This record gives sequence, C-alpha cells and structure tokens, in this order.
Amino acid sequence: MLATLLGACGGDKNAAENGASNVDKGNGGVRSAEVTDEIDLSKEVKLKMLLVGGKPVDYEEVFGELNKLLKEKINATVEAEFLDWSDWTQKYPLKFAANEDFDLVYTANWAFYNDQAIRGGFLELTEDMLAKYTPKTWEALPKAAWEQAKVSGKVYMVPQNSNEVVDKVVLIREDLRQKYNLDPVNSPETYAAYLKTIAVNEKGVGAFGAKPGDGWKWHELDEVLLEQQNNWKVVDPNVPFAFQMDDPAGNVFNVYDTPEFAELLKYYKDLVDNGAWSKNIISYKNDIWQDMKAGKIASYAHNLGTVAINMSEARRDKPEYEMAIADLTPDKMKSAAVSTQNGMAIHATSKNPERALMLIDLLQNDKEIHDLTMYGIVGKHYEPVGDDQFTPGPSSTNYTGFSNWGWNSLLNRTDTTYPKEADEMLNQWQEKVYHYPLETFVFDDSQVKNEVSNIGNVMLRYAIPLEYGLIQDIKKGQAELIKQLQAAGIDKVGAEMQSQVDAFLAAQKE
Amino acid sequence: MSATTANPGRLDPEIRANKGKGKSSDRVLLAVIGYTLLTILALFCIFPFILIISSSLTEESSIIEHGFKIVPTQFSLEAYSILFKYPADMLKAYGVTISVTLIGTAVGLFLTSMTAYVLSRKDFKWRNHFSFFFFFTTLFSGGLVPWYLLIVNYLDLKDTLVVLIVPMLMNVFYIIVMKSFMSSIPEAITESAKIDGASDFLIFLKLIIPLSKPALATIGLFIALAYWNDWYHALLFISKSELMPLQYYLYRLLGNMDGMRKAMMQSGVAMNLDIPTESLKMAMTIVATGPILIAYPFIQRFFVQGLTIGAVKG
Amino acid sequence: MKNYRFFSDLKKYRALLLMLTPAVLFFLLFAYIPMAGIVLAFKQFNYQGGIFGSPWNGLENFRFFMESGDAWRVTRNTALYNIAFIIINNLLQIVTAILLFEVAGKWFRKVTQTVLFLPYFISWVVVGAIAYNLFNYDVGTLNVMLSSIGLGPVDIYNTAAYWPLILIVVSAWKALGYGSIMYLAAITSIDTEMYEAAEIDGANIFQRILKITVPNIMPTVIILFLLAIGNIFRGDFGMFYNMVGNNGLLFSSTDVIDTYVFRSLTTSNEIGMSAAAGFYQSILGFATILLANYAVRKYDKDRALF
Repeated sequence: MLATLLGACGGDKNAAENGASNVDKGNGGVRSAEVTDEIDLSKEVKLKMLLVGGKPVDYEEVFGELNKLLKEKINATVEAEFLDWSDWTQKYPLKFAANEDFDLVYTANWAFYNDQAIRGGFLELTEDMLAKYTPKTWEALPKAAWEQAKVSGKVYMVPQNSNEVVDKVVLIREDLRQKYNLDPVNSPETYAAYLKTIAVNEKGVGAFGAKPGDGWKWHELDEVLLEQQNNWKVVDPNVPFAFQMDDPAGNVFNVYDTPEFAELLKYYKDLVDNGAWSKNIISYKNDIWQDMKAGKIASYAHNLGTVAINMSEARRDKPEYEMAIADLTPDKMKSAAVSTQNGMAIHATSKNPERALMLIDLLQNDKEIHDLTMYGIVGKHYEPVGDDQFTPGPSSTNYTGFSNWGWNSLLNRTDTTYPKEADEMLNQWQEKVYHYPLETFVFDDSQVKNEVSNIGNVMLRYAIPLEYGLIQDIKKGQAELIKQLQAAGIDKVGAEMQSQVDAFLAAQKE
Repeated sequence: MSATTANPGRLDPEIRANKGKGKSSDRVLLAVIGYTLLTILALFCIFPFILIISSSLTEESSIIEHGFKIVPTQFSLEAYSILFKYPADMLKAYGVTISVTLIGTAVGLFLTSMTAYVLSRKDFKWRNHFSFFFFFTTLFSGGLVPWYLLIVNYLDLKDTLVVLIVPMLMNVFYIIVMKSFMSSIPEAITESAKIDGASDFLIFLKLIIPLSKPALATIGLFIALAYWNDWYHALLFISKSELMPLQYYLYRLLGNMDGMRKAMMQSGVAMNLDIPTESLKMAMTIVATGPILIAYPFIQRFFVQGLTIGAVKG
Repeated sequence: MKNYRFFSDLKKYRALLLMLTPAVLFFLLFAYIPMAGIVLAFKQFNYQGGIFGSPWNGLENFRFFMESGDAWRVTRNTALYNIAFIIINNLLQIVTAILLFEVAGKWFRKVTQTVLFLPYFISWVVVGAIAYNLFNYDVGTLNVMLSSIGLGPVDIYNTAAYWPLILIVVSAWKALGYGSIMYLAAITSIDTEMYEAAEIDGANIFQRILKITVPNIMPTVIILFLLAIGNIFRGDFGMFYNMVGNNGLLFSSTDVIDTYVFRSLTTSNEIGMSAAAGFYQSILGFATILLANYAVRKYDKDRALF
C-alpha cells in the first residue's frame, strides 16, 4: 500500500516537487490503511546513488558484484555517481536545486545535513517506513542515533551505526620523551612540559603542529583542553556555546566568557612564548601528518582513529621514530560518537524510496553486502581475518577514498595493523562513556543564520589569533573578542539556542 | 589616428628597430633602459618558475624538511609518476583540451570579431545600445544556480563536449577590446569598398580581418588561453572521465586529497593517505603549462607574420 | 513617421544586424535568461519552490553583511586594491610593451616575452605556497637572507601593514605578460608613417614615444580602464584567498568583499545570502561605471563604452 502510494507521489512530477507536504499525505495514508507485510518486488528498479569522493578505479567490478546480489535480494540494481572531494561542496547543492534524478545520497552533519533537510532536499523517513523497509537497521541502531538524526522533529537520514568514542588525543614522539627523561604525558601539565622541552632542546623540530588556516574556528587543542578537560560539550562548532555535560538544566554559556577559557589562554601563551609552535601557524600550508612523519614536528592532536592509523603508518615507514598516543584527559567523562557524522538519505523526489531504503538496510546490516561495499573483493582488495578484522589486499588502493562511510556499522572490520594500544584505549573509554540529557540535541540555526555567519567570521578573525598566542595582551584580546561577538549578535543566538534546549529538555520529560 | 591615409603602412618591428640601430644617443639610452628593466622583470618572472620545476623533481620529504630550492636536494620523479599513473587518461585529457581549444578559439574568434566589427561601425546608429546590452551582462548575473539549471535541465548539455565550448564562445571583454582596435581602422577603407558595392559582411571578411591581424592574434591568444585553462565548466558539467579536460583532471587529482583530509577530520573516519602534495602541485603546473610554452614561440611568429601580411594587404 | 523611420533603419542595417544576431542570442541565452536568478537575493530558497516559488524574505539575506559592521571596511578595501591594481598594472604593462617594441635584439625580445608570460600560468595555490616559502618567519628565504647580512627577521604573516604592498607586487607580476601583449598589439597597429614623419621633424626617440605612441594607445587604455571600473567592487578571490587564507591578523588590510562573504557562508551555504552579496557588488559597480562612462563621454564621445 505504502509502496504504491509513494510510487505515485514520486512518479507525478508536480506532486513530487511538493515533497514535504506529500510525505505527510503518504503517512496519513499509511496510518489509516492496513500495513501489509508483503513488499511488492515484482518490478525491477534501477537506483541511483550520489556519493562523495573520487570514483574508485575498480568501481565497475565491485558494483557489478553488488548488483548481482541486489538483483537477487531486492530485485534492484544500483548505479553510483561520485562527487569528487575537490568540488563536492559546490556540486552537491546544485544536484538538489536542479532536481536531478537520484534516489540515495550521502549526508552528514558536517555535509550540510540540516540545511538540506530544511530546504526540502530529503524525504522524511517515518517510523513506519523505517520499520518496514529497513527492519535490520531499525533494530540495530540505538534509539539515540535516530534522535540525533532529527531535524525539527523529523528524521531525514539513516545514520551510521558506530559506537566509537570520538574524544581527541595527541600523538607524541615517545623516543624524544624518553631522551629527556620526561614524565609520561597524560595531563595538560605533563604535555606542556613535553612541548616546552622539545621546543628548547630539539633544533629544527617544532614541538606542536597544527593547520588552523583550514577554516576550523578553534584551537586544535580546544576539544581536549577546553571541552574534555572541563566535561563540556560545544553545541555546534560554528558558535562558541557549550553546556556542562552533567548539568540537568542544560544551561548554555559563551565559552569565551569563562574563567576556564581565560586560564587556557594563559596556558597557550606560555607555550607559544616558549616556542612550542610556529609564529606563522595560522598561515601554515603543509600537511601536519607529513610534517610529523618527516620529523619536523613532535606532536599533533586528532581523533583517536586517525592518530592510530597514522601511527601504524609510521611504524611501517619510519621505524626510527617511536610514537605514542597520549590521552590528556584520561579521567574525564567520555562521550559517544555522534551518529550523524555519516549517513545516507533519500532524495525528496526519488521515484523508488522503498527500494532505496531496502538498499540502505542491506548496505549497513547485511554482512556480505557490507563487506563487499566497504572493503571490495576478497583476495583483491582485502583479506578477511576472522569476523571483524582484515588486511589490505594487493590492489586495496583501487577501491577506497569515497564515502562508503555512510553505511558504517557494527559490521565494520578493523585493519590488523591497527595499533593495539589504540584499541585498548578505546575499550577503556567505552566503559567511561557518559550519556547526558542533551546527547541528541541538535541546534537549528535557521532563525539566526545572519548572526551565525557573523559570529563565525569573528571567531576566525579574533579567536584564532588570540588562542594561538599571537596577541600580546591576552586580557585585552579576550575582551575585544567578547565585544566583537556581542556586535555580531551572539546574545540573540544564545537566547535562541537556550530556548531550543529548554524545549528539548521539556519534551524529554514528558 | 589619422583618417587621411588609406594605406596604414605597418612595418615589422624588427625592421623598424634595426633601422635606428646605433644611430643616436637617445636610442642608446633607451636600449640601456630597455634591456636593464626587461631583464630585471624577466628574472622576477623566471625565478619562481625555476623553483617550481626544481620542486616538482624533489622528494616530498625533502621539500617538507628544507622547503623549495633552486636545485633539487633529493631528486625524485614520484610526482610525475603519480600524474602519469594512468597515461591513457592523461592523454585523453590532453586530447579533450586540445580539441576544445582549437574549435573554441576558431569559432569564438570569428564571432567575437564579427560582433566587434559591427559595434565599431560609426555609421551604425544603434551601436551604443548594443554595446550596453553586452556590457550589462558583465555587471549583473543571476549566479550559479539558474545558470546551472539552464544548462542541465533546459539545454541538456551535461556530459557533452559542447558544454565545454559553447558557454565560453563569447566574452564581452574580448568583444569590446576588439571593437576598440577596429575603430582605429580608417573609415575611408570601408567607405571606398562600399562605393564599389561590397556588402557589409564581405567588407568584414575581406578587408577588416586582414587589417586586424595584431588584434586577432591577441584576442585569439586570450580566447585560446581561456579554453586551455578552463576547469570550471568541467567541474560543473562533466562526470564522464573520457570528457575531462586536462586542467580539471589535474585539479581533481590535487583537490581530492585536500578535500578528503578535511572530510576525514569531520566525519571521524580514519584512513591512510600518503600522497606527495607539495611536489605534485608543482609537477601539475609544469604538465599543464608545458605544451603552451612549447607552442608560444610559434604563436609569437604568427604575431609578426600577421603584421607583415597586413602591411602588404593594406 | 517615427515607425517608418525605424523600419527603414532596420532595412538599412539588416546586414549588420544579421551579423550581430549570434552574439545577441548568445548573451540572451547565457546571460539575460539566468539573470532572473537575481530574485534569489530576496528569497528564502528551498528546493520545492525553486527560484520563483520560494518565499520572499525582503532584505533578510543582506542582513549578515550590512549589520556586521564590516561592510564598509571590506568594500573600501576591495575598491582601493582594485584602483591600485588598475593603475600600477597598466602602467607597468604599457612601459613593458613600449620597451619590448623598441629594443633591438630579436632573440632577447622573444625570450623576454615568453618569460614574462610564465607567472600567468602559475595557479594561485602554487603562488601562495611559494610566498609562504619565501616569507614565513621561521625558515623563510627572506628571513634567512636578512639574518645572513646581520638584520633581524620580519614577521610578515603576522603584520597586516606589509600586505597591501605584497599583494600589489604579486598582482602586477602575475598580470604583466598577459596585459602587455594587449598593448603590444595596440602599438604594432600604429601607422608607421607617423613615426617616419616624426623622425624627419627631428624628434628624439623619447619625444616620439610620448607624442605618438602614447596618444595612439590611449583608446585601448581608456577602454581597458572602463572595463575594469565596472568590476571595481569584485575582489580576485583566488588571489586573496590563496595568499592570505584565514589569517585573521591580516584581515584589517587584506579582507575584500569576496573573501569576507566566502568565510561567512562556508558553514551555512545559503544561496540567497551569496546572491545578496553579489547583487550588492553589481549595484555598486553599475553606479560607478555609469559615472565613469559619463565622464569619458563628456571628454570624447567616441571613446565611451556605450
């Protein structure tokens, strides 16, 4: 019944252009009609999927295999179009604006998920639809993940299923630490001692490397030293608001206007005065990991997974450097990954939304299809090791580099070369994961777009130089930053955010 | 420009310059100034290019450690081997670029000069209105979205060679510069041809084109360079690899790495990326510029040749 | 009567009008029809409504720019940079073209002309990388050189004051070869009889350049000037972004409208807001060009753009 209804909506161009209201109608229809368990697969369909990333060299081969399986399981085939990493931000919205023909599309909170949903680019996914067409995913995904995927109360994506903890760590040079008899690095203080010692004693080696010119609006250590250290959570990295994780009232505050931030500024200033990072860090153009690998810098910050992979690469290519992962906030609350960091959505005007959903279900939760689409062909692109590990195959580079991350799930395998200590660290973290009331809260900035734009600009212009210690008088710098934020309309954003948080918490209590 | 002469005698600059050689002190002084200044400017322009060539041939880790150097510290062809990893694709990309450039320049130059000629005709009453009609488009534009919609949905030009050629055929800037060149051609020439009963189109074809050789060579060169360097139309409208022009092919190669790094950071996905971006950037410059630099001396000859023919013709 | 006149003109100019037809159609199709998209500046765009069906939202899209307090600063920067580029680049290109034309050596001229063209081919990304390599504080070539002659280092990337000069030099450097070709073509079009006449009159070569070459390339100069004036409120994004990037310490002297808008919109990706910024630039440019064209018309009717 639903299938035919939705099919009719998708087929009729005018109706389809009215996406959102249509879906509501569809739902109404479903609720009033009897939902039958039979899904009509008699008609073969061809699905189009929009992915981000370069087209893998062996695409034809892997997707050829995939289509054989899909034909059998859901009487469908899929064709993927790839939007290169170099230009996807320009092309992605255009595909929607021109209403090009595609059914599934990669999405993520950092890939304009909210904006595209608000603008009506995605089909709303109702519980009925999800339960019927993505039964395995519906079962496997924690409720919180679906909550995170909601934009003004409606779900528009099937998020990834990943229970990873995303806290940031730093990678250090263990050989250098031992050379100078330094304490193990496990706190902001011991880390500062490490950075300063390297800066003073190692000629030609930068102690800390970062590439803030990329457009990120925070110091690259802020997530560790400001958020994790204080058990804060920044609501949206585009505006400087955070809340205390265990605050039941969910009070949001301006991070820059706190004593903790003032203290951290002193910490950073002390580091930069001791030469811990380059004076020209904001204009830095090289790749930080390449620098570390070349021995030009002795530390950098990133999420655990990336640091771990880099470390295993260094073990292979640069055995003379001994590296170690350091958690600077080991005793603090750990928070689980945001599920919407990767996901798949259905195009608002897709002609075959049911089949597209069934495809997502298979991609995420069918072992055979998941393995095939994530790692390629056995013996060629990878070798499975047990149920949850793999080793790269001879032509592994011919099937990689695009956003098959959209269907990350618990079926993901880990590389056998993945460092053991990273695994151990992750396991320890898992035990300390703290679930807080605002875990699934997502800020909707559509009412304050202009202010958010201006605040972002102020953060880049005033906060970044201040945090990297390039402004001599940090007190004055902090005051100037706060003043500029006020002019940019931060109070309005704060009030809007607080009212959304309050409404969210109130709804939770009900 | 005097309108009295119907015979604009034009001379090969070489002949003219030689005529005055060693004649008087003012020429010597000018030569000293000229050689000195041009040499200084040339050094400014060639120095970075040497850096680029050298860096493209340097081992990535050595660039990271020591920066760009005039002479490679650790010689490596890795960047080029990455660029030419799929030689067939690269050759195809060259093929697309060369064909687009040739067709686009020929058609574009003809249309540009024809339009410019009409606008340069002082007896054409509406020439200012039309000039304004064209010029206005350089000031106001509807932005990317409607233009994309037009080309993809209404003209259906996605993934065609046409989309790489047609939208760039005419450019107001070139039309107006060309018009300004053409208005310096004495009216007397067209007047007399008209009396002989030649049509406007024939006057343009037989008289104006030969007389405008320096302008045609200049604008032709600009059009050709615009086609050669264009990657934006391919970015928007081409997804088939066999239609990818050179510049877009290269742009993707580099942009994909940068873009993926950023994406990985934000999506929380970890992946192994080990690519020599610095030397690759430099090698890309060489690969994209090389053919033009080889062709340029021939274009220069065409410049001079055009002038002498024009002189004879006039 | 008037109508009759129009139709007789139509007949009189039919060949010329026919020759204009391809260009008119081209610009109608690729420029005027999409121009309808300007309405996006006043709309809250959504995919269902598209360009015309999305709801109006007045001047809301302009608010981020106008209320930020930065509008004046970036507009002024944009205009000042462009004025500097127009004057300096053109002067340098004219001098270079004249010298290239007058110097004797055939090989020297050919090689120089080719070499001057090289910077045009270097992408801004690469120029930015080279500049960083030259100017960075710690190991930049400039500071290494300064310290080897006993001078202290200069902190270019943290000092806004150096940047107008750097950007002007880089812009002149990149445009030199391309721009001087245009003037070279203008010079080679000059009637040689004039030169010969001047020589007979006993003018020396400098007088000849000033009295004949310069006045004869004035039409080209004026046209290029007018063409540039219309875009005086559009910054060269590729150049500013790759040279300065997101270095907030330099924004006071380097921020132009295009970089400012780009930074403001990277997170929201709002089509209406970028349309609004573009419309603002268009209106300012349009007003400026009308004034400039009016001024040129007063001075010489034939030299005006329209």
